[in-house]
Parts: sequence; C-alpha cells; structure tokens
Amino acid sequence: MTNPNSQSRVPQVLVAGGVVLLLAGSFWGLFKAPGEIFMGDVQRIMYVHVPTAWNAMLALSFAFVCAVAFLFTNSWKWDNRLEAGMEMGVVLSILLCMQGAIWAKPTWGVWWDWDPRLTTTAVMVFAFGGILALRNAVEDPVKRAVWSSVACIVAFADVPIVYFSVKWWNSLHQAQSSPATVSKAFHWPLRINAFGILFLWIGLVALRSRVAALRLRGELGPPLPKAAEAQAPAPASGGAP
Amino acid sequence: MSGVVQGGWEFVIAAYVVSALILTGYASSVFFRYRSEKARATRGG
Repeated sequence: MTNPNSQSRVPQVLVAGGVVLLLAGSFWGLFKAPGEIFMGDVQRIMYVHVPTAWNAMLALSFAFVCAVAFLFTNSWKWDNRLEAGMEMGVVLSILLCMQGAIWAKPTWGVWWDWDPRLTTTAVMVFAFGGILALRNAVEDPVKRAVWSSVACIVAFADVPIVYFSVKWWNSLHQAQSSPATVSKAFHWPLRINAFGILFLWIGLVALRSRVAALRLRGELGPPLPKAAEAQAPAPASGGAP
Repeated sequence: MSGVVQGGWEFVIAAYVVSALILTGYASSVFFRYRSEKARATRGG
C-alpha cells in the first residue's frame, strides 16, 4: 500500500515548483513570445493547451501502467496510484477540451466539431470518467481494484488513437505539436509549462494516492497482529493484502 | 479579410483563467481531502 503515514513533503514541493514554472511559462507565453503569423495572439492558448494535452496522456499512461502492475502484483499501492492517476488524467482531459473549445471558436468559427481528434478525446474523457464512476459504485475493494484495472487497460486503447488521429484521418485539428512542428520562438514557454504541469500532476497524484491509501485502510480495517496474521486464511481472490 | 485572426485576447484570457480555476480547484480538493482523511485516521475513524 502507498504509505498513508508518509510525512514526506516532496509532493508539496513538486506542486509548488509546478506552480512557479507555470506562472513563468505563462508570463513568457503571454507577454514575451511573438504572436503567430496567422492566428495572431489567439495562438498564445497553445502554451497551456499543448502541455495540458501531453500531460493528460502521460497521466492516463501512468494509470495504465498502474493497472497492469496491480494485476501482476496484487499490491494495493498500485490500485491507489491507479485511482490517483486516472482522476488526474480525467481532470486534465476535461481541461484540455475546454481550452480546445475556447481556441476553436475564433479560429474554426465553432466551439466544437465532431472531428476525429475531438471525438476520440471525448471518448477518452467519458471512458476514464466512467471507470472513476464505477470505482465509486463498487464497495468491495478487491472487485473494485480488479474491475477498474481491467477497464483502464481496455480504455487505454483510445489514448494512442487520440494521439495518432490527426495523422490517420483528415482532421480539422492541426498535427501534433513538437519541436519539429513549432517555431523556435515558441519552444521555451511550451517546455516550461509542460514541466510545470508535469511537476504539478506528479505532486498531486502522490498526495491523492495517500488519500486513496488512507480510505482503503479505513475499509480494510487495522492490520492483523503478526501472530494472528500467520493463522489468518489467505485472501479468497488473491487480491487482498 | 486578411486571413489573419484579429484580436482574440478575450479568448486567450478565458483559456488561462479556466486553466487556473480548474487546476487550482482540483489541487485544493486534493489537499482538502488529504487533510480530512489524515484527521479521520488520527481519530481512529
């Protein structure tokens, strides 16, 4: 289990570092970087939108790794991290859709379009959001952990589809932003904000896993004393600690 | 029509404000839940 009693301040430091980087990167993007040749100032939305997209996919990839690790190890720490990573990924994905809609209106003329990138992203939000709802609905911790791990692995199939959708299909959405496709003048604010959001979500996921661990400890009850533990029957599904 | 998007600062500000609100709101909820779960665990609940 993630150590719920950990007093380490590393997560709080990461969150604080992330906030500082985000403030610096946003200031650079808003006031120092030049406007884009066609989109003008509206393109400044890129400095929060693209790092949010990268990190949403990273957080959901982290959740996928935790789901696989849980199924292989039956260790509760991976279930706690899965819950935290998925929640963070869903929050970032919802934010991503909102930023995208705000950028779409002045450039595409509409808030939303059922284009491949947007549609697959919407599927991603509803799939992972649904798994979080499933977790809330299941009371048995073992079933909850196994079901949500399997569901997470299935839902993760959509993540690479989101990423490659702009390559595979004709899309209104532009191609993936990377150092190769973005002018040099835009690199630094993009990178700083990307690391800002990265530090922020890693710190928040670490804290959120402690919340999940504390709740799980409340559900499972206090650990058995050593002597009683030796005589206790093994967990039925092999999942309980 | 020049083909260049004119103005649009209101959209830029909206995007940054929405980002700040959602990230701050979620971070606050995590810190709040962490504190309340720790307090509950300390009480033995």
